[in-house]
Amino acid sequence: MKRLSIIVLMVITLVSLSAAGTSESGNVATTSFNWIEGPSVDGLPGVNPLKVKGNIITAGSSTVYPLSERMAERFKEEGYSGVITIDSIGSGAGFERFTVSGETDISNASRRIKASEIEDAKKIGRNPIEFRVGTDALAVVVSKKNTFIKNATMEELGKIFSTAKTWKDVNPSYPDEPIQRFIPGTDSGTFDYFAEEVFKKNPEPMLSASHLQLSEDDNILVQGIKGSPYAIGFFGYAYYNENADSLNILSINGIEASKANVDNNSYPLARPLFLYSDAEIMKSKPQVAAFLDFYLSYVNEEITKVGYFPANEDELNKARQTWLEATKGAY
Amino acid sequence: MTQRHITHPFGKKHRLHEQVIETILFLCALFSILITVGIAVILVRESFLFFSDQKVTLVGFLTGKTWQPMIDLFGFLPLLNATIITSVIAMVFAIPLGLFVAIYLAEYATDKVRGRLKPILEVLAGIPTIVYGYFALTFMTPLLRSIFGQGTVEIYNTASAGLVIGILVLPMIATMAEDAISAVPQELRLAGLALGGTRIETTFRVVLPAALSGLSATFLLALSRAIGETMIVALAAGAGPNMTFNPFEAAETITGYIVRISGGDVSYNSVDYNSIFALGLVLFIITFTLNLISRKVSSLFYQEYE
Repeated sequence: MKRLSIIVLMVITLVSLSAAGTSESGNVATTSFNWIEGPSVDGLPGVNPLKVKGNIITAGSSTVYPLSERMAERFKEEGYSGVITIDSIGSGAGFERFTVSGETDISNASRRIKASEIEDAKKIGRNPIEFRVGTDALAVVVSKKNTFIKNATMEELGKIFSTAKTWKDVNPSYPDEPIQRFIPGTDSGTFDYFAEEVFKKNPEPMLSASHLQLSEDDNILVQGIKGSPYAIGFFGYAYYNENADSLNILSINGIEASKANVDNNSYPLARPLFLYSDAEIMKSKPQVAAFLDFYLSYVNEEITKVGYFPANEDELNKARQTWLEATKGAY
Repeated sequence: MTQRHITHPFGKKHRLHEQVIETILFLCALFSILITVGIAVILVRESFLFFSDQKVTLVGFLTGKTWQPMIDLFGFLPLLNATIITSVIAMVFAIPLGLFVAIYLAEYATDKVRGRLKPILEVLAGIPTIVYGYFALTFMTPLLRSIFGQGTVEIYNTASAGLVIGILVLPMIATMAEDAISAVPQELRLAGLALGGTRIETTFRVVLPAALSGLSATFLLALSRAIGETMIVALAAGAGPNMTFNPFEAAETITGYIVRISGGDVSYNSVDYNSIFALGLVLFIITFTLNLISRKVSSLFYQEYE
């Protein structure tokens, strides 16, 4: 009996100790927009990153990742002292964190938010707003060692990424070697986009293909494609740009992925890149508003260095307008 | 279960701090058991969610040859197959080598040599597996490709991952097997030699059979380590389920799939997400069974020497 009472006593002590340990030191929330300083840029208030306090949490598309990373770096170079997290987990998982668990302040996406995801967001009291930040020309790439394919029609892409077993099945003049496919994982916006454009939203033929490797990590895809002349894959243009010395990009329907062709909408696989946030988050966490302001003000100075293409000026202005409306009355 | 009691010669005194210490120790033991039970409960519960999905059947899961949850194909054979291939390659490489290292260390090496070799082996055991993963991808794969040709060996392949898992479990096999061999009583060796056996005959005909229980337990534990190995296969074996027996082709193992899916890229309530728990449960059952067998084997072959 005595032993039992001692055990009970110990358990109570342990529990109370651990409870004491978890009581959080209250979060100091600063809700002031005192970072607004200097001349306004394209209608948005000027940002002084030195005065921005607090952390920012973002997650989502691996395609948008290099761009957001570059913008965050510049934000820090100019004096931002907080921590900004950017997780590269795919658009779908990014929305999941933004709309279901509500862990993130900003969601990066290489596709538009789905109606079902907006529904989820409303359930946790969030109202996603969209900021267009740029354009990607989805790159279909092969190894530099591949000498036989330079161009593919949309129809050929359909064969290459589904039923064709060997290259010969695509075009009789190609070698009789199995096609090795390296494509983004099923939860990525890039996968969705490709399935939508090439397979009319039905991913089944793509997933039933043989010699298929899927990864959310675009660098794994790059490694794989570099490895064999008979490998092919696709991902955001920035990853091609970074590995242009070992990869060849195919033109689609005879159209090259270039700034001119993206601007005039003739490249068939050009797609928008987005950030999503919420007006309430931007008001209650001014650092998020500051980062978005900074992003929209300077994205065009960085985007080509990262390897993407500037969004159409009208779209960018629309995003800036969205920002102004979201923060109305906050400063 | 036997309980040992040391009776105090001067009768039992109640000392509070003794009891406190005993209780703390008991709670620690209880805690580790609770963790294990908790893991098992979660695995079973989440797997149940997976199997209660209408699209999933147990038979389809166990016999299907295609794993592609997004389009409702839930056959786990390709994943299991890749796991078996990498583990078998690892064992074929590591068991003979590890055994010979152990024999050398236990029977032939002088104290000085053993003192040098053992720390080196232990360093090998201390390398993080992520480093082994990149070693497989950037050294082993190019090596295989230069031997067998760029055309035969794919950039991600199970052979490279398997060989490097072999390197990973080598020190474990060598040290545990050495312990088993060293535990054989000296009298047996002397008897073998006295009967006219050479040193190598004594080692292989007398010492190794006597150490069989310890050795088999070692191999089974190493196998279960190889099956559970994750980082190496995630990096080097491939990132797509593929039903193939060719070790030079890419194929994703059970652990590799779990890593890829839990790497953040799947929705929490989807069947894909629940599937990783079912696969985790399968892994748990496999390694648990292997560990049980290994215990059984060691008691089965166990011989008492006087």
